Amino acid sequence: MDFLVPLLAQLTNGLIIGFIYALMALGLTLIFGVLKVINFAHGEFYMLGAYISYIASRMLGLHPIIGIIAAVAVVFIIGMLMEKALLTPIYEDKVERKDEYALLITFGLSIFLMNGALVVFGPYQKSPEPLASGVLDLGVLSVSSGRIYAVVLAIIFMAATLFIINKTWLGTALRALSQDRDASTIMGINAKTLGSIAFGLGAAMAGAAGALLAPVFLVFPIMGVVPAIKSFVIIILGSMGSIKGAIYGSLLLGIVESLGVFFLSPSYRDGYSFLLLIIILLVKPKGLFGGSQWNN
Amino acid sequence: MLEVKNVDAGYGKINILNDLSLKARENNLTLLIGPNGAGKSTLLKAIFGFVKTSKGSIEYNGKDISSLPSHQLVDHGISFLLQRVSVFPELTINENLKLGAWAFKKDKQKVTQQLEAMYDKFDVLKQKRNEKAGLMSGGQKRTLEIARMLMSNPKMLLIDEPSAGLSPKIAKEVYQILHGLKDDGITLLMVDQNIRDSIGYSDYVYVLEQGSVSSESKASEVEANLKEVVQSWLKF
Repeated sequence: MDFLVPLLAQLTNGLIIGFIYALMALGLTLIFGVLKVINFAHGEFYMLGAYISYIASRMLGLHPIIGIIAAVAVVFIIGMLMEKALLTPIYEDKVERKDEYALLITFGLSIFLMNGALVVFGPYQKSPEPLASGVLDLGVLSVSSGRIYAVVLAIIFMAATLFIINKTWLGTALRALSQDRDASTIMGINAKTLGSIAFGLGAAMAGAAGALLAPVFLVFPIMGVVPAIKSFVIIILGSMGSIKGAIYGSLLLGIVESLGVFFLSPSYRDGYSFLLLIIILLVKPKGLFGGSQWNN
Repeated sequence: MLEVKNVDAGYGKINILNDLSLKARENNLTLLIGPNGAGKSTLLKAIFGFVKTSKGSIEYNGKDISSLPSHQLVDHGISFLLQRVSVFPELTINENLKLGAWAFKKDKQKVTQQLEAMYDKFDVLKQKRNEKAGLMSGGQKRTLEIARMLMSNPKMLLIDEPSAGLSPKIAKEVYQILHGLKDDGITLLMVDQNIRDSIGYSDYVYVLEQGSVSSESKASEVEANLKEVVQSWLKF
C-alpha cells in the first residue's frame, strides 16, 4: 500500500506529460499528413513557444495564459512564413528530390533557430511565470496546480484542433489535401495557402506544448531536441500520419516513462521511450494503428 | 467559348504540345482523339494549369486564362475530371460532394440546395451519403466525381478518359450522363481512347498527333470513317 501513492503520483505525472506530448506529436502528424514533410524543426517551434511565453510573462509582465496564447499565435505566423519561404519550391517543381530537400531544409531551419536563440537569449536557463502556484489536493494525491492547468489547456488546444479538422470547411479541405493534392485543387482549394496553414497549425501546437511545459522544464536554446525526438518516437509507434496513434502513443509514452522512473531509475527516463518504440515495432512493424490514415 | 492558340507545353525540357490550336464550341461535346503520347491529356492539364505553357494563349470567353492558378479556374466555371480515380477515399460521399461547392462554401443555403440536387440526380450517392468514398465501386466513384464536379455549377468541363477502368455497361451510363450535361448548358472538352463508344455522343472531333492537331471535323464525319482514322494511328 505504501508504494501505491507514489506510483499513482508517477502515473498522474506520466499522463499529464503524455497529454502535452500529444499536443506536440499531433502538430508533427498534422504537418506530415498534409504536406508529407517530416519537420525536423518541430522541436525548435516548441522552443520558440517557450521563449515567447517567457518574454510575455517575465519581460512584459503579462498573465501566463496571455503568454501561452501569444506563443500559439506568434509560432503559428512564424510557421506559416517559414513554410511559404522554404517549402514552396517543392510544390513548384523547382527541386528534383523533394523528400530530401524537405528533410534538409527543415534540418537547416532547426540549426538556424537553435543558434538564433543562443545569440539572442544566451545559453542560460530561464523560467517563465508559472500558470499557478501551490498544489491541488486530490485526497491521497497532491498535484502541482501549474501542471493541472497545463494539461487542461493542452486538452483544450487538442480539442480545438480536432474540432477544426473534423467539423469545419478548413478541416475537411485539409483532410482532402492530405489525400489528394491535385483533386483538392480541382475543387478550387488553394493547396499552397492551405499547406501553409497546416504547417502553421502544426508549429503552433509545438509552440503551445513548449509554452505549457516551460515553467516545468525551463527554457534554453536546445530544449526542443528531446521533445522533438520523442514526438518522432510517438508518431512512429502510433503509426505515421495517424491522429489516433499520435494521441494514444503520447499517453502510452508518458505512462511508460513514469513507470520506468518509478520501478527502474529516473536516470534513464528518455531511454524508456526508445525501448518502447523498439518493442512495439518488433510486435507491430506498422505501429499501433498500422496503415491508418491522417483522417481517422 | 474556349480557344487554345498556338500553345507549346510539356514537362521540364520535354515539349509535348507543339503549336497546338483548337476550339471548344459552346454547348458542344468536343472530343480529342489520337494515339498514345499525342498530347491529349497534357492539353487538358495545360488548360487547367497543371502543366505550364511556354508559348501561346488559352482563352476562355475571350480572357486569357493561361497564367491563372489552377484553383481559380473553378471560380471561372471550369472543372476537370481526372483520368485516374480522384475521390477522397477517407472522406464520406457527403463530404466529397460538399468540397465540390468550395467556391461558394459561405452560402450554406446554396450548398444545401446543390447537395439535394445531386442526390436527386444520382440516387446511388444518396443511399450511401455517409459511407466513405473509398468503399465505392469504380463506377460509383466515377459518378461521385461527376456529381462533385457539378456541385460548383461549371460552364465548361475538361474530361480525361471518363470510361477508363469501367465495364462497358457502366461506361455507357457515364457517357449518357456526360452527354446529358449539354442540356444544362455545359460545354465539354473530352479526351477518350474509347472512340467507338464516345464518338456517338460527340459533336466535333480533333485528332491529335505528336502534340499538334492533324485533322478536325464533325463527329458524324469521323464516325463514318472510323476505321480509316484508327488505322492511320497504327502507323505510329
